[in-house]
Amino acid sequence: MGNATLSSLIKMVNQIADNNVHVGTADDAANAVASHITRFWARPMKQQINEYLNEGGEELNDIARQAVTQLQK
Amino acid sequence: MLQHFDPNKDYGTPARVSENLVTLNIDGVEVTVPEGTSVLRALLKRTSTFLNCVPAITWKHSALAVSAQWKLKVAAAPCFLYHTCRKRHVCYYAEQQAGETAPQHHGAVHLRSPAGLSDLSSNGNCELQDVAGAVGLREVRYGFEGNNHLDAKKDESNPYFTFDPSKCIVCSRCVRACEEVQGTFALTIDGRGFDSKVAAGQDDGFLASDCVSCGACVQACPTSTLMENSVIERGQPEHSVVTTCAYCGVGCAFKAEMKGNEVIRMVPFKDGEANRGHSCVKGRFAFGYATHDDRVTEPMIRDSIDQPWKKVSWEEAFSFAAGRIKDIQAKYGRESVGGITSSRCTNEETYLVQKLIRAAFGNNNTDTCARVCHSPTGYGLKTTLGESAGTQTFDSVMKADMVMVIGANPTAAHPVFGSRLKRRVREGCGLIIADPRTTELVKSPHIIADHHLKLRPGTNVAFINAMAHVVITEGLEDKEFIANRCDNTAYNKWREFISEERHAPEQTEDITGIPAAEIRSAARLFAAAPNAAIFYGLGVTEHSQGSSMVMGIANLALATGNIGREGVGVNPLRGQNNVQGSCDMGSFPHELPGYQHVADDAIRGRFEASWGVTLDNEPGLRIPNMFNSAIDGTFRGMYCQGEDIAQSDPNTNHVDQALRSLDCLIVQDIFLNETAKYAHVFLPGASFLEKDGTFTNAERRINRVRQVMPPLSGMADWEVTMALSNALGYEMNYSHPSEIMDEIATLAPTFKGVSYDRLEELGSIQWPCNDAAPEGTPTMHIENFPIGLGNFAITEYVATEERSTRKFPLLLTTGRILSQYNVGAQTRRTPNQAWHDEDVLDLHISDAEMRGISDGDWVGISSRAGDTVMRARITDKVQPGVVYTTFHHPGSGANVVTTDNSDWATNCPEYKVTAVQVVKVNSPSSWQQNYQNFDDQQQDFLKQGRESVSQ
Repeated sequence: MGNATLSSLIKMVNQIADNNVHVGTADDAANAVASHITRFWARPMKQQINEYLNEGGEELNDIARQAVTQLQK
Repeated sequence: MLQHFDPNKDYGTPARVSENLVTLNIDGVEVTVPEGTSVLRALLKRTSTFLNCVPAITWKHSALAVSAQWKLKVAAAPCFLYHTCRKRHVCYYAEQQAGETAPQHHGAVHLRSPAGLSDLSSNGNCELQDVAGAVGLREVRYGFEGNNHLDAKKDESNPYFTFDPSKCIVCSRCVRACEEVQGTFALTIDGRGFDSKVAAGQDDGFLASDCVSCGACVQACPTSTLMENSVIERGQPEHSVVTTCAYCGVGCAFKAEMKGNEVIRMVPFKDGEANRGHSCVKGRFAFGYATHDDRVTEPMIRDSIDQPWKKVSWEEAFSFAAGRIKDIQAKYGRESVGGITSSRCTNEETYLVQKLIRAAFGNNNTDTCARVCHSPTGYGLKTTLGESAGTQTFDSVMKADMVMVIGANPTAAHPVFGSRLKRRVREGCGLIIADPRTTELVKSPHIIADHHLKLRPGTNVAFINAMAHVVITEGLEDKEFIANRCDNTAYNKWREFISEERHAPEQTEDITGIPAAEIRSAARLFAAAPNAAIFYGLGVTEHSQGSSMVMGIANLALATGNIGREGVGVNPLRGQNNVQGSCDMGSFPHELPGYQHVADDAIRGRFEASWGVTLDNEPGLRIPNMFNSAIDGTFRGMYCQGEDIAQSDPNTNHVDQALRSLDCLIVQDIFLNETAKYAHVFLPGASFLEKDGTFTNAERRINRVRQVMPPLSGMADWEVTMALSNALGYEMNYSHPSEIMDEIATLAPTFKGVSYDRLEELGSIQWPCNDAAPEGTPTMHIENFPIGLGNFAITEYVATEERSTRKFPLLLTTGRILSQYNVGAQTRRTPNQAWHDEDVLDLHISDAEMRGISDGDWVGISSRAGDTVMRARITDKVQPGVVYTTFHHPGSGANVVTTDNSDWATNCPEYKVTAVQVVKVNSPSSWQQNYQNFDDQQQDFLKQGRESVSQ
């Protein structure tokens, strides 16, 4: 996967995070985002967002970053 | 003599429901009917011959109420009707039974038959002729001298039917059908006495009037005054097949009336449980596309989209397609291909396509056009109510006291339901409309909404939160329902959230544009109604917060206790005929049929055992993910059945780039649609008239689709998918679609009790249909939810990134109109073009004046995604700052402008909010010029393909 996918994945995960900020604490929100990705994202998408985080993940917002970090555990 | 049940028997007046029964003595035979039943209906319980009497003509139509002068109330006392006409009717019936004529009725026939009985249509479709025959009338008493209407000019303006006033008996049935059934009030009786006549609008002809061509008047006409042109031209049909319409999600039942294999007309089926004998212009008349010259009925292949098509045998097409897919997977991996199922195809066909992808392709890269319309409904309702579907029947609206319509325009997009809703509103039901545009439901004849909440595009969640805030903070919630039926932990958390002052109407007023007092008033009305129902459409789902809004709607319904009985509920109005079914059948990449997640080992195990393969336990790619991956080079092959993603999906330039990147695109369709222009394999599809299977409508009703004519290509769509699968090496072996449904029933718990035999027995079935509900489930969540307790979801308003700016100061929202359907591939190939032969841009006069734009001017519409050009239409239906268009014509390029913004949870595109600028121009956009060149080239390639010799 290249740029078209990665740029859309960054936008998607940040958007999911923005819409889950108010479900509870930051941990609750990150859990919700991680759960969403687990349930709905395809394997290559998960792999690519993980790789992006490993490379720094600069454009991920805080909740998104925490969620993707959780996915790697 | 054995009495056969005739489902089409017209009982003259609607059935009444009452616990009080009345027994009549009719000609010595006792008949028992509910109180309120008309005498006519009661008599028809006894016999079918009574309809052949003159008095019946003026009020015989089951969809019409009994008019005041004839209304015969059945008293609660036994045996007796109190109406002066009763005796005459019953006596007349007795005379008929004795084989006598009824000379007292001859005069009525004469007076009302200006053309003379012998001149009426001799096509066997004239009740007046039947009456004349029944009373033994053979002569025209008054002759043809003196004043008459014989020279009255026909109105042939409507492309589908002719009005011949020389045959009119001015019975008013057509007028009443237009008023009571359709609710348009386009017809009237003009003039007095002998001069009285039926007039459309201001007597300016049917086409120029407000007539919506639903056909109710044609069906109600007892003479041949209003007659389908197809019947006039080709004669009376000889036989019929009952099937289901393939246009919108209402799922109307029709009798396809045939002459040989040719459809003469489509007549709405009176026993159709979704449409109750009504129809719209699309289903009733716009079926000619099925035999249009543009149909491609032979398979074609080519190596590249820069080459002409080559006609080949089915075997070669399957071999070529399978070889390409296998080569791609060998080179780029198992996940490098996928497919798109169709919401226009049957459940059985859709099931097979997703099965092919999961079992033969070996991945879960399956998606459907619900991705771009109602995927947020699936997500939102599953999260809150536990099931990805609407909660009610369409009939349920007749018990509603308050209806809130959000982001939907049912009189245009779901016309038969729209008519039902208008009828209920005329009966006194309250109506709240939440829509940026002024739709017909806001104000039309005999309809005025209590509130039109004219919100700004993109602010739905702020609006619904404000509604819920009023309900909770003013103590209007249904405490008992919440305590007994809902998850109290989730409720308390939500209650705290929604009670925050930032959700108050006074705080959201600046966001939504809706005055706080109006929100408060609407919320109070909604909460106070004994039965309040919510109906919503794509104005809810096609937003960056589509899923949040669906959950917000469910929150409001739960908080006010409006779930679990008739007259209430959350009702998504589905766009295409089988959107519900395509979702049910496992078209989404994360769910197997029956909304069962692919990651669940036990569930997946059952499918693996049945299908004999190992299935991937990870979700697959969604459509937009497939496009991005195609551009990136990791997704190389696609099988697309019955969808036109090149026209319907947003950001056309992006879609164009993705489709051009594919090494193999297999398109199965009835026409060389926009997507097929990018294809390497074309597999001819079958129209709905050629299909055998089932559709599931917006109320979860599984309807039979019966084959009316054999597939023009020689193969049914399910047979094509099966053959492709077999060519890929995954064996499918079905001999009839019923076997596919039987397999579905074994794997999807909500379909457990569904079979073709049961459908024939019951007419239709609303799922869930299982051991607990063997005849289906008309109303859901009566006692509990599939998730146990109703779940309140936190729905924070998050403003879309798509905002108006100095560069793009207007907000574009897109939608549909009555006469065209979706991408228009079907309706553009019918006379429906008479009403809408191009997409136009609606804009408010203030925005037009500011830009020097006049009505009919060419205007350029630019967004950050692209540019296109359309004609402008100045209107007050849109508010200042908002512009609107449709996407029914590919050359208009509406989706060149829309962006790839999408719903946070489902990636449903944000069609309803695009920031644009509009300027006056005098030439097409560069995209349109390129499109025209590409289209010309592809049409030429098709022509060469048609002329090629089959290999």
